[in-house]
Amino acid sequence: MNIFPENVSTYGQDIDQLFWLVLVFAGTAFVISVFILLYPLFKNHHSRIQRAKYITGEGKAHFKWVIIALCVLTMSDFIILFAEHHTWEEFETLPQQKDAEYIVTGRQWNWAFTYPGLDGNLGTADDVVIDEPNSELHVPLSKNVFFQLKAKDVLHSFFVVNSRLKQDCIPGRTITRWINFTKEGKYDISCAEICGIAHSQMRNFIVVESQEKYNTYIDSLYKQHSATAGGN
Amino acid sequence: MAHTEHKQSFLSKYVFSTDHKTIGAQYTITGLFMAALGGFLAYVFRYNLAFPGENIPIFGQLAANQYNTFVTCHGMIMVFWVAMPILLAGFGNFLIPLMIGTDDMAFPKLNMLSYWTFLISAIVLVASFFVPTGAFGGAWTMYPPLSVNGYVDPNPSFFKALFYGSSLMILAVALEFTSILMGGINFVVTTINRRAPGMTPWRIPLAVWFINIATVIFMFSVGPLVAGAFMLLFDITLGTGFYDPARGGDPILFQHLFWFFGHPEVYVLLLPSLGVLGEIIPVFSRKPLFGYKKIIYLALLSAVLSVVVWAHHQFIAGIDPRMATFFSIGTILISIPFAGIFLAFMATLWGGKIKITLPMAWALGFIGLFLIGGLTGLFLGSNAFDIYAHDTYFVVAHFHYTLFPDIFFGFFAAFYFWFPKFTGKELKKGLGYLHFWLTFIFFNSTFFLLFFNGLGGQHRRINNYDLFSNINIEPYITFEKIATISAICLILSQTLFIYNFIVSWRAGKKAEKNPWQANTLEWVADSPPPHGNFETVPTVYHGAYEYSLPNMEADFLPQNVQAE
Repeated sequence: MNIFPENVSTYGQDIDQLFWLVLVFAGTAFVISVFILLYPLFKNHHSRIQRAKYITGEGKAHFKWVIIALCVLTMSDFIILFAEHHTWEEFETLPQQKDAEYIVTGRQWNWAFTYPGLDGNLGTADDVVIDEPNSELHVPLSKNVFFQLKAKDVLHSFFVVNSRLKQDCIPGRTITRWINFTKEGKYDISCAEICGIAHSQMRNFIVVESQEKYNTYIDSLYKQHSATAGGN
Repeated sequence: MAHTEHKQSFLSKYVFSTDHKTIGAQYTITGLFMAALGGFLAYVFRYNLAFPGENIPIFGQLAANQYNTFVTCHGMIMVFWVAMPILLAGFGNFLIPLMIGTDDMAFPKLNMLSYWTFLISAIVLVASFFVPTGAFGGAWTMYPPLSVNGYVDPNPSFFKALFYGSSLMILAVALEFTSILMGGINFVVTTINRRAPGMTPWRIPLAVWFINIATVIFMFSVGPLVAGAFMLLFDITLGTGFYDPARGGDPILFQHLFWFFGHPEVYVLLLPSLGVLGEIIPVFSRKPLFGYKKIIYLALLSAVLSVVVWAHHQFIAGIDPRMATFFSIGTILISIPFAGIFLAFMATLWGGKIKITLPMAWALGFIGLFLIGGLTGLFLGSNAFDIYAHDTYFVVAHFHYTLFPDIFFGFFAAFYFWFPKFTGKELKKGLGYLHFWLTFIFFNSTFFLLFFNGLGGQHRRINNYDLFSNINIEPYITFEKIATISAICLILSQTLFIYNFIVSWRAGKKAEKNPWQANTLEWVADSPPPHGNFETVPTVYHGAYEYSLPNMEADFLPQNVQAE
């Protein structure tokens, strides 16, 4: 069933599977609870019953059923917690191997992208910054791509629906997250934290392409950049 | 203690009244007016979502900043100016003195002051729509830096900044908290000191217990938010830098202070309604409330746990990933006492003699809908899935499935249950059922589909998805339209309630003193209870839930009647 948009990251599938796992537990709990709620409405309808049973539920004999139900519930909750913990770590821990890194800065109202430039290091003079509406961030396919997420003015939230990653960007902080894309294509980057009047217009693209195409793009980008820089 | 009925002028009886019932009615009716405003805002922005850019009937064009303002104020109004006055202040004022068997609140004048402060807070909020900046539009959570520097002028004068929408919203909220604190002190003091003879703690009805627990949770958690809100106000008006990273502040600090209150607030809103369910379900099951004492212990446990869950709102806000696990566990743990309370309510039904009446229908509808709201919380409580679902319509649908039954099903259950007591009139049954079913159906058709929009990736607070080609697709576009049309129908269905309310009040059949054959003390008083409530102070002999006692002919035993 396609209730999620297409997943294009290595870890996105885990999120989708987690949904189905929780749904199994929540669905079971729902069905049982609805039964407990509705069954007595029919069976114990006042037209069929002479007199209700006097049960206070204070004694162990009766309240133990609630306790048992709560224990089952707690156990299911912890099963979910253990299952999801691995996915959480996968998202929140950076892998050893870093293949590419960019700075993504949220501002009112655009995502600005910083490429490391020819020296391969971010934060140096030859960094290439692209800050235009609808601009694209090009990244290589099947590589561990790191994003240093920043915000210039207010809170923003870096959201690439198709990768399942969402991370708030905080002024004054740098938060690094990563994605490994599994499919070439052009995907939306949106902002998931309200950031002012044009919050809805904050949309850029992430373009995933094979290493060769990516290299060609980067070469031309850097060449173009040094040409304009030299012109100054 | 019995007051003699003395002639009161219209003003002292209905406006500047110190009578708890009048104040309860003032709170409730103000809350309902604010609900109408909140509903209207919802109508406007839902219409815009389904039919972007089109002219909205009886409103016109909705600009992007107005969309933000409307969404923000809808949330603010529904939580602080509808749920709080109706559930906490309304229920508390109507029920506490009558249920514990006293003539009025401990501090009637403070009670009156509490309402008038509340009214001023509502006026300040509504006034914020008319200041030059318009009402605040940076989401009801008011996260800085947006709430601080969301306006054009980087260095406004103090007075200019004081009349920003954001400043007025903070002031309105502060006044509202002051009002609820005054009311809350009254609730607790009255419950502790003014109980009828024989009303020992374990004989107090669940509703009174729960309103008091809710009040105490509110008092414990509100301090940090008030501090946080005033730092925000100083940042806006005085140019301090509490939340400005460039000057050593930290925007995340506000999120912590906000949710330290914001999440317990959910239980402040939930407990009074649950208390009402605890009154209604035993009456119409003719059976004692299952595990009355244990339910109270569970609620006290949840009150303690409510202060260790707040950061589950901030899983992706940049907090330490290891901290998230702690709050995930806290969130799981707090679901346990509430599951226990709901299970105990459902267990009350088993073995009962169930009569479906209007209040019972609302109570059962509440449980059914809240079940969906609670269980979808499981998805969001698991922090990994929250990475994806956070700030999407999945969250929107989830909390509407908790808050809507809580606020409106809870209120309507109470309304249909106690209307005969407080007006002395009967409501029209047929209309009541029609109102119930239309509300139930249209609520579901409004919000259930939004779960799918959220899973499909639609993020919140977007006035137009045209730019986002991968989420602005079928079936989500159709779902938006169905949700909007249903929301309009849901709002229109409430006219049945207003009509029933007015017509039954003015010309309804005279109600019996104890039409549901219930045990609690309010049913001993006349309908409507006069100023001073009881002719003679009732003496209490046993708990509130002695239904279908063996060796008795009647299947109920009022609290003030000695067993044979």
